[in-house]
Amino acid sequence: MMRRYLLLLALCALLPPPDAAADVVVIANPRAGVDRLSRDEVVNIFLGRFRQLPSGLSALPADLPSSQPEKAVFYRQLVNKELAEINAYWARLVFSGRTVPPRQAVGNDDLVSWVAGTQGAIGYVDRARADGRVKIVYEFSP
Amino acid sequence: MVKLRDWRQSLIYLAVVAVVGSGIFVGMLFIGGTVFSTKSRVETQTTTRLSELLDTVESTVSIACFVQDESLAKEVANGLMKNSGVLGVSISGNSNELARNYRSGVSPADLKRAQSGRQIRVIHSPFSPDVPVGKIVLDPDPKTFDRAVDDEARFVGFLLWLQLASVVVVIVAVMLKLIVRPIKGMSDRLHRMDPISGDRLQIPRGYVGSELGRLVEDINGMADQLVVSLKDEREIRLLHTIEEKKYRAIFDNAETGIFTADRNGCISSSNPALARLLRLPGDVETAQVRLIDLAWSRPEDLQGLIADCIDGKAVTAADLEFTPDDGMARWLNVGLSSVGGGMAQGVVSDVTERKLSEDMARRQAVTDPLTGVANRPGLEAHLQTAIRQHDGATAGGFTLMLVDLDGFKRINDALGLPVGDLILKSAAGRLQSCIKTSDTVARIGGDEFAVILPKVEEEAMAANIGERIVRTLARSYDEHANPIQLGASVGITIFPNDGVDMPTLLRNAELALDRAKLGDGNRYTFYDPAMAEAAARRRALETDMQLALRRDEFRLFYQPIIDLQENRLAGVEALIRWQHAEKGLVPPDAFIPVAEETGFIVDIGLWGLETACRQLAVWQAEGLDLYMSLNVSGRQIPDGLPPQALADAIARHGIEPWRLVLEITEGVLLTDVSKAQQWLAAVRELGLHFYLDDFGTGYSSLSYLKRFPVSSVKVDKSFVRDMHNDPSDRALVEAVVAMAKSLSMSVVAEGVETVEQLDLLRAMGCRYGQGYYFSKPVPIEEFRQVSARVDTMLS
Repeated sequence: MMRRYLLLLALCALLPPPDAAADVVVIANPRAGVDRLSRDEVVNIFLGRFRQLPSGLSALPADLPSSQPEKAVFYRQLVNKELAEINAYWARLVFSGRTVPPRQAVGNDDLVSWVAGTQGAIGYVDRARADGRVKIVYEFSP
Repeated sequence: MVKLRDWRQSLIYLAVVAVVGSGIFVGMLFIGGTVFSTKSRVETQTTTRLSELLDTVESTVSIACFVQDESLAKEVANGLMKNSGVLGVSISGNSNELARNYRSGVSPADLKRAQSGRQIRVIHSPFSPDVPVGKIVLDPDPKTFDRAVDDEARFVGFLLWLQLASVVVVIVAVMLKLIVRPIKGMSDRLHRMDPISGDRLQIPRGYVGSELGRLVEDINGMADQLVVSLKDEREIRLLHTIEEKKYRAIFDNAETGIFTADRNGCISSSNPALARLLRLPGDVETAQVRLIDLAWSRPEDLQGLIADCIDGKAVTAADLEFTPDDGMARWLNVGLSSVGGGMAQGVVSDVTERKLSEDMARRQAVTDPLTGVANRPGLEAHLQTAIRQHDGATAGGFTLMLVDLDGFKRINDALGLPVGDLILKSAAGRLQSCIKTSDTVARIGGDEFAVILPKVEEEAMAANIGERIVRTLARSYDEHANPIQLGASVGITIFPNDGVDMPTLLRNAELALDRAKLGDGNRYTFYDPAMAEAAARRRALETDMQLALRRDEFRLFYQPIIDLQENRLAGVEALIRWQHAEKGLVPPDAFIPVAEETGFIVDIGLWGLETACRQLAVWQAEGLDLYMSLNVSGRQIPDGLPPQALADAIARHGIEPWRLVLEITEGVLLTDVSKAQQWLAAVRELGLHFYLDDFGTGYSSLSYLKRFPVSSVKVDKSFVRDMHNDPSDRALVEAVVAMAKSLSMSVVAEGVETVEQLDLLRAMGCRYGQGYYFSKPVPIEEFRQVSARVDTMLS
């Protein structure tokens, strides 16, 4: 089983590196009751550890599709992991069935829309796409 | 062939035991070491494996802990439990335990042991390696651990056993092939081998130069030596056998009896000669003969001889008398030498002949061959025995007699030795008839016998026997044509009164015999101490006389002899006197007889001759016409006064021979007639004259007067003295004078003391006279005076 993860990991490494230059921010539904999240809180929410917002709401994270370069940038900046590693991580958790990975958005727009429309939702996009419908709760420091 | 008594003694068994034993010992050590090293190795391996296991699951556990996912944790724990080396797993988050899985049925001891190998790893967050999110605890299963150790030890043990077994097999095989089989082959061959016929062991192929090869060479060398030794031994034995046969032959054929016997005289071996000598039965060894029991006269002597030999380890020998039943007494010389072990070896030889001849020689040594009675040594031996027997005893004694045949010498001279011998034999026989057989007769000199009477100690009894002897011997002897009459004198001494030692007894008996012989003899005389005293006196006198001669104490006195017809001094008779320095004048009677007995008269005679001649020379020179008569004793004739000495004296002093006249007595003529005649003739040849002295007192044999060249006879003074009142004396003197005249001899009358005698003699026609009437004998100093007086008297 582990061997399969390792293979997967190796395949992931073959993918072209995401554009590191993209400025990804974490956005949340404005009604979520939070203004700012700590980096650990972001990690806990997105990596399934603790999915509750400081306001008490259940946090509903959403991921961009892997085709979007912002996803890779986000995870590298957040936990310094490649997407393959994140996938492998989730593969193991999914296997146990207790924690599920973040909701998979179709694309940037879809994600922003879903965050805007869902209380407690939380996601990440390029700063340029963060409009008024969502609230930026965490920024990777420049 | 010798079988192994016990298979446990076989080389193979011993080698296997040694190899197995040491193999087990080494194997145990090895297994122990292996277990120890395996334990530590397995421990390390287990730790490494668990650590690797943890490495494998660490990322997943990290995720599980990160998200607190119990399912995932459980999944991981279950996965780990699939590993047989894991006893239990515990995964915990920072605050709570997520999963725990332990094998069931584990003993607390195992749990405890597991904790010592427990692996605890802190799990960090997958996203930030610095943040711990939990830990995983992994306990190793000690059973698995033990199993591994066991497996390892078993495997090593198995290998070792395998190795040991193969080594044993190899050793057994090698030993069997290389050692045991060759040795057994050698052994078999040795048992069949006959070294003497040249059989030798062969070195098994391929063993040349090896230990076995050398062993075979050594054995063969030993066999060679053995063969040589056996050969030598056989030769020695052969020689020994030959020697033994040789000695056996000597032993069997020896004339000397040879035996060995023990202390009790039991014979253990003997030769045929011994059986012959000792009259033994044929088979001595089985007969168990004891030497001592044989017919020895004195078995105790033999017993002592054997004991001396064995105890003293010395060589002993003795002549022993053997008196077997056949009555032939034999003397056997038995010589013994100790051969050790309480045994003695003896040689027995018959020495009867030697013994008999020795006895005979001994008897002859003490026997007078003529008469068969004892001789002088025999007498001495008997005398010693008698003295020994009586010595120390308070009472008892014995008698010694000396017997002399009176006049035997005369008979012997007259009738010759054969007759004398016959008489001596007869006398010895008669003596023996007079005594008991226990008494002893011995002939100790020409005609002198001795008799020892061991039982006689009383004088009366001795006198009895003495008387009997005298009587018996006096009987006439009829051995000759004419019966011969002899007397016998006996001197008797009695032990111990007359002497306690042999020389004294013999001397005293001799003294008694001398006394008995005095006079006519034919009598016995007891010894008397006075005899000894007289003898002592005589010895003293003898010494004195010799001294006197040296001191010139003898003198010649001269008594004139008167020619009665011519009335003149015709001559002198020289008479010897002894002027003793202390005793004064010693009369001739006191010493002349002794001088005659001892022979000293010869010296005195020569002195007298010399003195007389000297005086005659003086008178001759003075022109005196005197002769001198000198008395000559029978002892001086013929050798004491040789004619040559007379001739020398006369010649030396240059005197005319007629002047010296020798006076001899009839006794002279009675001794050795022929020698006396020769002497007389020789002296007469010198021109000397003889006077026959003391005529009328002895035999006065007229035949002597005819046979001897006597020019004068001297009539003894005893006749002259009583002539004038004893008619028979006067007749005798007249007869002598007449007879002399008819024989053309002159007569000298001695002892003329009175003028009557002188006249009577003149009337008878007696030519010469001498006596005190004219003068006593005077020394030379007075002679001139006497001569003058005589001349005066006659004129």
